[in-house]
Amino acid sequence: MTERLPVTVYPLRLAAPLALFMALFFLAPLVVLAIVSLYTDPQMTQWGGTQWVKMFDRFGIGVLLDTLLLGLQVTLLCLVLGYALAWTYVRMPPRLQTVVIFVVMMPLLTSVVVRTFAWIVILGRQGIVNSVLMDLSLIDAPLRLLYTRTGLVVALANVQMPLMVLPLINALQRIDPNLSDASSVLGASDWRTFYRVTMPLSLPGVVAGCLLTFAAAITAFISQSLIGGGQMLFMPMYLYQQASALSNYPFAAAISVTFLIAVLLCVSAFNVLGRMSRGYAHS
Amino acid sequence: MTTRRSLLQASLTLGAMHAFPGMGVAQARRLVFATFTGSWEEAHRDVLVPYFRKANNNAEITLDPMLSVDQIAKVTAARSNPPIDVMLHDPGPALTAIAQDLVEPFPVAQSKHYKDLIPEAQEPMGPAIFFQAVGITYNPDKIKTPPTSWRDLWKPEFKGRVGITNLNSTLGTGFLVEISKMFGGSEANVEPGFKAISDLKPNLAAVAANPGALATLYQQGQIDIGPGNFNAIQILKARGVPVEFVRPKEGAIAFKTTIHVVKNTPNKELAVALIEAAMAPEVQTRLMQSPYLIVPTNTKVKMEGEIAKVLARDHAELKKSFVFQDWKKINEQRAQWIERFGREIKL
Repeated sequence: MTERLPVTVYPLRLAAPLALFMALFFLAPLVVLAIVSLYTDPQMTQWGGTQWVKMFDRFGIGVLLDTLLLGLQVTLLCLVLGYALAWTYVRMPPRLQTVVIFVVMMPLLTSVVVRTFAWIVILGRQGIVNSVLMDLSLIDAPLRLLYTRTGLVVALANVQMPLMVLPLINALQRIDPNLSDASSVLGASDWRTFYRVTMPLSLPGVVAGCLLTFAAAITAFISQSLIGGGQMLFMPMYLYQQASALSNYPFAAAISVTFLIAVLLCVSAFNVLGRMSRGYAHS
Repeated sequence: MTTRRSLLQASLTLGAMHAFPGMGVAQARRLVFATFTGSWEEAHRDVLVPYFRKANNNAEITLDPMLSVDQIAKVTAARSNPPIDVMLHDPGPALTAIAQDLVEPFPVAQSKHYKDLIPEAQEPMGPAIFFQAVGITYNPDKIKTPPTSWRDLWKPEFKGRVGITNLNSTLGTGFLVEISKMFGGSEANVEPGFKAISDLKPNLAAVAANPGALATLYQQGQIDIGPGNFNAIQILKARGVPVEFVRPKEGAIAFKTTIHVVKNTPNKELAVALIEAAMAPEVQTRLMQSPYLIVPTNTKVKMEGEIAKVLARDHAELKKSFVFQDWKKINEQRAQWIERFGREIKL
């Protein structure tokens, strides 16, 4: 009889077809992208680093940082609202939980365009928010909510909420309720219990949720352009503008590569945090 | 030495060539016309395609609607075996396509209808088959006195009610150039235009990302007045949205929409025949009528209906009431303007 391999070890060869597939359709285009970014002119005849100099001038850096800041704002808002929601969720009767989870999932089940237009209806001059405030005589003229940074952050937070709430619920559900009971018995206040027991234990969920929300918020091209408007420039729109309106593929390629690397750096930072938090949760 | 790997490679290549015979040579296929999306596609499907098929022995044709820039991207990606035979372009992208050597000259000498086009439409690299006109759009429910001039947008009574688009679109760039000219600039100098847009800020309720997004804002009452494309506004109007289009006294900004034979097309004869059909007075007359309302370029077409009422009664008046812009000059600096707009125009 031949010797059996341990069941947990698989030969790497099995991954070869997928690896080949990825190399061909994912890695190769990325390499092409990087090469295209090294042309100096839109007609792609001269080699040089001018696109990269332009990418990292004051304006380009500004757009990049502003995009990452937008992601941070959306993530923070999602975290505050999402944590409260997830916290309530795990303490609800199961029947109510079904309703809440359905409501939370709703944004994922509707198309992004429909969701975005719903927000335009809510935030517009004659939208729900403005008409309620006007009817209550709290304001005289409609406020400008659409095409503002605040409006965009709120709308993006709504759209990305499931990505934050689901990992949080998962993390909070796994915490043994006896732990907080033990903490109270030992004399800790509710807040102290939250800070010292619940929050540290839910950190892996927080990190996972933040990672997903952040990545989705900074790349949300449709929501950014429809709710933020044409005067707000974030990386996805910057990229679209160069590739589409100006046919300047080398610069568009430089923007994509920069954005890709920036996102990868953020993701790795989150991953490091995640690993640290897991260690913290176990200790 | 024949290794297992090289054998595998060879067989994969052979297999692929068998599965996709088009990889080797330009393959015979039906004519593909990349028209624009939305109402343009509808108009071409309903009027142009049947006329073309009747005139050409029932030749097969596929409409593959997409934006100008996407057409250019697709053809650039496969120059020797283009997936499109006939392209349709706004003035800016048309010049890009010509500059990048993606199109063939139209055989003017053999053409029956080319000489009947108004001189502005006679472009040997690809004739204009219709005009798009940009004028002032407003909501007649909220604005009782119809605006008459581009200058009206700066009136204090329109505080927080004006909508424009950014420069990504032909409409946005055309608008900037037009107001630059109004305040003493030109296609080469849009300094006055940027200043004017900066002065417009108190009135601006929205800078939309594209003309489509701008048009929907009238529906939601977000904006009440702004520059708008004649055809886009007709569609909204037909759906019951309270919008009206007026030609400002400075003239409507006009864009030539040109049609081109793609270089290296395997269907050159049919491509030329399609362009011929698109210039035919019968086709252009039908397209001018409701619900299409597409502005004709053939002088043999008699203007009627909404177009005669709002834009021009005949081609002589059209020449006077339409402002054509020099897109060759515009393209030279457009990239800088787009960047400057992003930097300076913040609401």
